[in-house]
Amino acid sequence: MAIDLIFFVRTLVFPGFLFLLVLVLFFDWFERKVAARFQNRMGPSYAGPFGILQPIADYIKLFSKEDITPKQTNKFLFVVAPILAFSLFVFALFYIPIDGSNVILDSSFEGDLLLVLLLVTLANFGIFLSGWASLNPYSGIGATRILTQFLGYDIPLILLAIGPAFLAKSLSIVSIASSQVTVPFILLIPWSCVLFILVLQAELEKDPFDIPHAETEIVGGYETEYSGRKLAFIKLSEDFQFLIGASLVTVLFLGGFHGPVFIGPAEFWYVFWFIVKTLGVVFILEYVGNVSARLRIDQVVHGNWKLLIPLSILSLALTILVEPLLRSVIG
Amino acid sequence: MEKFETAVDVLKNNLADAIVELKVPRPRKAYILLKSERHRDAVSLLLKHVEESMLSTISGVDLGTEIELNYHMVCGGTVTLKNRVPREKPVTKTITDILPGANLYEREVFDLLGVVFEGHPNLERLLLPDGWPKGNYPLRRDWTPPLIQENDSGSEEDSQNNSEEDDVGSLVSVVVGPQHPVLHEPERFNFTVDGETVVDVKPRLGYVHRGIEKAAERMMYFQDVFLVERICGICNAAHTTVFCQAVEDIGNIETPPRALYLRTIVHELNRVHSHLLLLGVGGHLLGFEALFQHVWRDREPVMDIIEQITGNRLMSGFNTIGGVRRDINPNTVEKALKTVKAVRKRAVFYKNVFEEDATLRLRTEGVGVLSKEVALKLCVVGPVLRGSGVASDVRKDDPYAAYAEIPFNVPCYDECDTWARLMVRVDEVVESLNILDYAFNNLPGGRLRVRVQRKIPEGEAVSRVEAPRGELIHYVKSDGTAYPYRVKVRAPTLANLLAFPDAIRGGYIADIPSVMGSLDPCFSCTDRMAFVDTANGQKWRWSLDDVNSHKNRRVLL
Amino acid sequence: MTKKRRRLPALIKDMGSCLFKKPFTQEYPFVSVQAPEGYRGRQTFDPEKCISCGLCERDCPAKAIELVEVSGKRMPYFYLDRCIFCYQCAEGCPRNAIQLSTNFEMSTTEKDELLVKAEEFISKQNISSDEGQ
Repeated sequence: MAIDLIFFVRTLVFPGFLFLLVLVLFFDWFERKVAARFQNRMGPSYAGPFGILQPIADYIKLFSKEDITPKQTNKFLFVVAPILAFSLFVFALFYIPIDGSNVILDSSFEGDLLLVLLLVTLANFGIFLSGWASLNPYSGIGATRILTQFLGYDIPLILLAIGPAFLAKSLSIVSIASSQVTVPFILLIPWSCVLFILVLQAELEKDPFDIPHAETEIVGGYETEYSGRKLAFIKLSEDFQFLIGASLVTVLFLGGFHGPVFIGPAEFWYVFWFIVKTLGVVFILEYVGNVSARLRIDQVVHGNWKLLIPLSILSLALTILVEPLLRSVIG
Repeated sequence: MEKFETAVDVLKNNLADAIVELKVPRPRKAYILLKSERHRDAVSLLLKHVEESMLSTISGVDLGTEIELNYHMVCGGTVTLKNRVPREKPVTKTITDILPGANLYEREVFDLLGVVFEGHPNLERLLLPDGWPKGNYPLRRDWTPPLIQENDSGSEEDSQNNSEEDDVGSLVSVVVGPQHPVLHEPERFNFTVDGETVVDVKPRLGYVHRGIEKAAERMMYFQDVFLVERICGICNAAHTTVFCQAVEDIGNIETPPRALYLRTIVHELNRVHSHLLLLGVGGHLLGFEALFQHVWRDREPVMDIIEQITGNRLMSGFNTIGGVRRDINPNTVEKALKTVKAVRKRAVFYKNVFEEDATLRLRTEGVGVLSKEVALKLCVVGPVLRGSGVASDVRKDDPYAAYAEIPFNVPCYDECDTWARLMVRVDEVVESLNILDYAFNNLPGGRLRVRVQRKIPEGEAVSRVEAPRGELIHYVKSDGTAYPYRVKVRAPTLANLLAFPDAIRGGYIADIPSVMGSLDPCFSCTDRMAFVDTANGQKWRWSLDDVNSHKNRRVLL
Repeated sequence: MTKKRRRLPALIKDMGSCLFKKPFTQEYPFVSVQAPEGYRGRQTFDPEKCISCGLCERDCPAKAIELVEVSGKRMPYFYLDRCIFCYQCAEGCPRNAIQLSTNFEMSTTEKDELLVKAEEFISKQNISSDEGQ
């Protein structure tokens, strides 16, 4: 009975669904605030102290708005796709060790890194479906752009994620994080980390890769026809994806939840270090996104196949070459 | 100036038999009345003998029994070729085969005055809505709204299926506008795309018609200054300057030098803020939000100076016929000079950004190419023309206001792409700031304005200025009353719009915003003619008087 | 014109410095903003000076002024919803009865509030003179 209670609390409250939701909203606020400060604006300021409640206000607004399903659309897909994408992202996030272990205790297994990457790809496919089901030229173009972009960029992403896994001699996220207790991998294989962040930028649809929803070209892209609750689900899944992306960098290159533990329960400090590190990653992602213009889809595809894939193979090769030298410092 | 004299000589020598009347009332302004149907010869002669000559616009004037077509040719100055056609049977030959750039202007005259141009490739409606009844030409002098209501039914055209064409194979129609994030004003572009490549584009204008040309005929000259100011918010000083110049030209009014300098100052401030606005929008269109916000932040001090000098952020209300309406005090000059210095520093920095930034260059280089030959043929103007390697600037070629006394350069790029067009604007900001610096430091003393009678003597005048978006031309005809007989406005965007299909064809969907942005379209300038509301079935209600009396009634009852 | 080499984004430094700057934007309407001197805002009218000549009504390009009989004298009503704030009325007034103010805050949910009646200025003056007595 006690085990069941822990299970429910962990999935639903901490560090499960509710905690993740709050975390995602907080990251949304942080991202907006940082972007605003980069642009010498104020950003969210009125809802709550420093506007910290703005994302909640926005979602409440979206959830309470009229929900329109256009006549021409494929109704089933149109409704299911955003929810599917959202739940897949949440599921993927359950495998990220925030307080030292996965959300569902002992669910970690050898190869869950691949599962997370797979879930993210699948969820993106859900987003593609949502655009495709809209039957709107803008959504259609946005949806095809997602496929073109993600299918291409998944390859370097996985190749680059293999680097830390190789150093840790494990494909399990928890053990990758644990093997960075002494030295985070960013110091050992910085080239991999830089490339990973760049590819992540494409995966998260941030500038210079925010092509699938380039509003000046194709209005809202895949989300053009969405409104109300369904749009809220799409927006939420984008935010969740953003958190997954940032936490992957934290786990793979920054040592995940590990950090100095002071007074109090170790879990508190795990969560603290995890959030601090992830916020740092978000800051860098925002910085990169803000100093660049949006590229064109052909440039993105060329950049991927001609530049990023060869580079990521090289970086993996380099990692394998230097691995014997680094072996001594890996925990 | 030499070019202008060659142009007049060429016409005198080769077309002596066709010229009925030749007037050169002012330097660089010629009005030539030709025998009927000889306009084609005159246009081709000018194109052949005068380098970089172009057509500014065609203005049609209803003279009662005849319709006069004025072909305003740019050759150093303005040579206006007049061709008269009978009003009963208004048919003439097109010049689009000699000069493709005349396409939209002929359509405009066809639309509003009912002159048929034989041989025109697509003589369709340009500004009026598709449902507009046939046989109604709003710019004819005797046209009054009730005429339409009587034969409203029956002549209704289907306004729905004019543009939606069947998709052929893999080609998809993407309609951009009337509402779309890339357009800040409502206008419709129907793009045919193959995957991500643009195959063709059809623009449809007329969503922001306000009947300004017709309304101008019903208001007194000094009131019209405020009316033309509202053709466009961003280049309002350009519109008032050009209109006042035209009227001053007709009335032989000498504007005091201080007024000329003040006009120049407001005009250039307008250019600075307009170009900065566009560069910011350019950043936004390319997905570069930070650049957008930063440029607009740095534009704000310029707006503050405009507000302090003219009394409003945007609508300056500064120019009037015979001078300017308010003076500038030494404190403002001091503050303005400081702002000019600060903004110049930022402009130089942005020039660096546009030159160096990798992603910006990737998106703009080699995109939307408009070669010099095509640009001249399509008669594009302003920064678009200068981005295609033609150093043409009204301020240099045909100096007005105080530009003859102020030293400045005309930036010009040979790359012919979006990047070149943006760079022209960055450079022009710096040049304009230099002009402002000079003008503030060399402001002459004296009167602000001369007293002007409300009645303006009979006559006509063409006036040109270099608005931020390019050459802006007004043609004013007076019949000796306090009300103009005809006011014709050709805003620069109409001239540049024809180049858009050529520039975008073969490009990517993603290039649409950047190419569109680099032309700096301003549709409120382009559409002025008739006030129509097709959406709610109310066919039209156009005159300012009508609108006002209607409002009056509603408020008073 | 030789093009410079492509480099890293030039805005990097500029953006970084923005993090430590005060935001450029203002918290209007929570923080009030002052229009500069000479700003063409809402007109003020002096009924004492008005000679009912009607120039303002005739000259107004937007036809936003209407002369109405008020306490035995024809005086202007200003329709601010139509007014374009060109100040032709103030410029043309032979007795300077119409003058500018820098008040630009005119937004309202009631269109009727945008009709400025000459009475308003009379009553204001009466009140102030009453207080004086």
